[in-house]
Amino acid sequence: MRKALFVAIRDYNAAVRTKGFLIGLLFVPIMFGGVFIVMKLTEGQGDTTDRRIAVVDHTGVVAPALIEAAERRNESELYDEETGKKVKPAYLMHIVPPNDTDMAAQRLELSDKVRAGELFAFLEIGRDVLDPGDDGDAFRIAYYSENPAFDDTRHWLTSPINDRIRSLRLAEADLDKDTVERLTRWMSVEGLGLLSVDEDTGEVRGGEQDNTAAVLLMPYAMMMLMFILIMAAVGTLVTAIMEEKGQRIAEVLLGSVRPTQLMAGKLLGAIGVSLTMVTIYMLAGVFVAGQVEASDLIPYDALPWFAVYGLAALFMFGAIALALGSACTDPKESQSLMMPMWFLIALPMFVWVPVVKEPVGGLATWLSLIPIYTPMIMLIRIASPVTIPAWQPWAGLVGVILFTAISVWTAGRIFRVGILMQGKPPRITEILRWAVRG
Amino acid sequence: MNAVEIRNVTKRFGAVTAVDDLSLDVPTGSVYGFIGPNGSGKTTTLRMIMSIFYPDSGSIRVLGQERHEAAMDRVGYLPEERGLYRKMKVRDVLRFYGRLKNGGDVNGDVDRWLERLGLADWADKRVEALSKGMSQKVQFIAAIAHRPELVILDEPFTGLDPVNLDVLQEAVLELRAAGSTVIFSTHDMSTAEAMCDFVFMIFQGRKVLDGTLADVQDRYGTDTIRVRIEGDATRLQGIPGVERLTDRGQLQELRLESGADSQEVLGAIMSRARVTHFELGRPSLHDIFVRIAGPEAEEASDA
Repeated sequence: MRKALFVAIRDYNAAVRTKGFLIGLLFVPIMFGGVFIVMKLTEGQGDTTDRRIAVVDHTGVVAPALIEAAERRNESELYDEETGKKVKPAYLMHIVPPNDTDMAAQRLELSDKVRAGELFAFLEIGRDVLDPGDDGDAFRIAYYSENPAFDDTRHWLTSPINDRIRSLRLAEADLDKDTVERLTRWMSVEGLGLLSVDEDTGEVRGGEQDNTAAVLLMPYAMMMLMFILIMAAVGTLVTAIMEEKGQRIAEVLLGSVRPTQLMAGKLLGAIGVSLTMVTIYMLAGVFVAGQVEASDLIPYDALPWFAVYGLAALFMFGAIALALGSACTDPKESQSLMMPMWFLIALPMFVWVPVVKEPVGGLATWLSLIPIYTPMIMLIRIASPVTIPAWQPWAGLVGVILFTAISVWTAGRIFRVGILMQGKPPRITEILRWAVRG
Repeated sequence: MNAVEIRNVTKRFGAVTAVDDLSLDVPTGSVYGFIGPNGSGKTTTLRMIMSIFYPDSGSIRVLGQERHEAAMDRVGYLPEERGLYRKMKVRDVLRFYGRLKNGGDVNGDVDRWLERLGLADWADKRVEALSKGMSQKVQFIAAIAHRPELVILDEPFTGLDPVNLDVLQEAVLELRAAGSTVIFSTHDMSTAEAMCDFVFMIFQGRKVLDGTLADVQDRYGTDTIRVRIEGDATRLQGIPGVERLTDRGQLQELRLESGADSQEVLGAIMSRARVTHFELGRPSLHDIFVRIAGPEAEEASDA
C-alpha cells in the first residue's frame, strides 16, 4: 500500500503542478460561464448613436402618437441613472407624407437613404390598420432596415403603435378602455411546489412559487460537476499511462511494484487530481451562490449522494480508462480507443433535459439504474424537486458498487498484460481474452 | 549460496515457447552474463526472475525466497525497454524510484552516484534536457541507488560511447566488489568475456552454454588458427584440414577439422602466402556464439 501511495503522490504532483491543470481548471467555467459573462459585460455597450426614422403613415392618425412616445422615451430612458452615461440611442422620428401614386418608388428612395446612412430605418403604417379589410397590403405595418431581424427599435415600436391603434379602435366603437381591459385581462397558470409539514415547527409550508433556476440549474450543475470529476480523472490517467508506455517507464516501475500496486497508485493519484478540481469548483460555487444570495438553491440533501456516486464513478471509469490506456501503445491510438468511452460518459449531457422534465418517467428511471449512468442521471433526479422512489438511489448504488468491483478486477487483469505491450495494438478480442484469462 | 535458482522453468506465449525447461544457478557475488540472439528468451528469463512474468511451470528462487516478490526490494532492475519521466528533475526521479524500492532514504546514495558518474551538475535539470548517454547513466543509478543485493541489467551497455561504456563497466564491477550479484545481458561478446565470471547462453528458449568462460571454451578445444598474411585472403581457400575460413579483414580465422594437425595447416598457409602473424588458440566467445546461432548452425539443424 505504501508503494501505491508513492505512485499516487508522484502522479498527483505531476498532474497538478502543471500549467495544463491550471488552464483546465479555468477552461470549464470560462466555457460554460463565458456566454453569460460576455452578455453581462456587453449589456449597455451597444451602439448609442441616435437613430433617425422616417414614418410613412397612410392613416395619418397613428404617427403623431408614435412620435410623442418616442420623445417621452428619449427624455427618460437614454441615460444610466447612476453614472449619467448614455446607454441607449435616441429615436428621432419624422413623418414623410405617403406618395400614393408610386409607393414602390418612395420605398426605394427611402431604402437608398437608409443605405446612405441618412436614415436608420423607415416605417410604413398601412391604410386599414384601424379597420382590417381584405387588402393585405393596406392592413400591415412594415419596418424596413438593414438588419430587421435583430433590431431593438422594431421591438420597441410594436407597443406604442398597438396602444395607439387599440385606443383609436375602442373610441370608434364607443367603448371604455378600462372596462375592456378589465374584461379581457389575461390570466397565466402559475407553477407551485407541493405543500409539506415542517418537522420542527409542525407548520404546513411550501406551495411556493417554483424557481426555474433551482429546477434546471441545480441538476445541471450537479451533472456538470460529476462530468468534470470523471473527465479530470480519466484525462489524468490516460496521459500518465501514455507517458509511461511511450517513454518505456512501465517496466522500470514493474521492477519495483506489482501491477496491482501500480494500478491502485495511479487510480488514487487521478482521484486526488479530480477531487482537487471539483473541490475548487464547489467552493467557488458556494461562494458565488452566497454572493448572489442564492445559497438556498444549493441542494444540500443531494451532496452525500454526489460524494458516494462520485467516488464510485471515479473508480469505475478510472479502471476502464486504465485498462484501455494500458492496451494502447501511442496517444493517437488511445484517442480512437477512448472515443466510444467519451461518448458513453457524455450521453447524460444529451438527455438531461428530458430527465429533468420527467424525473420519474421511464427514460429517467431506466437510465439511472444502468451502472455507468447512475452517477450522473440518478444525481439529476435526486437534485430535481420531484421526489423519486426512495429505493432507487440505493438500488443504483448497489449496481454501481457491483459494476465498479467488476471493472476494477477486469481492468487489473487487462492492465497487467497491456502495460508491457509495445508495437502492434491489440484487437478488442485480444483485450477480452486478457480479461478472461488474466 | 545462490542468488538465483531457476528449476525447470517453461514459459509460453500462445504457440511460442519462449523459455523451454530452463535450469540455472547464479552464485552470490558473481557477475553472470546472459547472451543469445534477439528473441531467444533472455529478456523473458530476466522478467521471470523479476516476477514481471510468471513461469508456466517450474520454480524460481530469488535471494533464497520462493515467493520472490518478497525479495523484490533487494533487487535492482534495469529493463531493456527503459525510460524516465521526462518532465521530472533528475534527482527527483531517482529519489522516487529509490523510495519505491525501500521506502527509505536514498538521497545520500543518489547524490553519491550522480557525483560518481559525472552527473552532479545535472541533478536539478529536467530529464528531457539529458543526452542519451546521460539518461542511460541516470537509469543505471535508478536501478542500483537502493543498494540491491542482486542487480539485473538488461542490455546495460548498448548505445554508449567508449567513455561512458568504461564508466558503467567500472560501476558494475564496483557493485560486485561491494558484494552484489550482477546479472546482465549483452550482445557484445568482448564485454561478456572481459567482465563475466560465468556465461549463460540461451538459444531458441533452451540453455546451450553455461559455465565459466574457460569451461565454455574448453568444450570447443584449441581449434582456431588466426593469421595475418600479406596479400589477398582468397589464397587461403581450400586448405585441407580447415573446416571454415572467416575473413575478418586484417585477420583471417581458420577453424580446424577435428583431428587436423595445426602444423600441417600452417605449412599449407605459408606455402600460399607470406605470414606476418600466427596464433593458435581457443575459439572466442563471439565465434562460439556464431557457431551455435549463426547461419551455419541453422543449416546444420535444417539438414
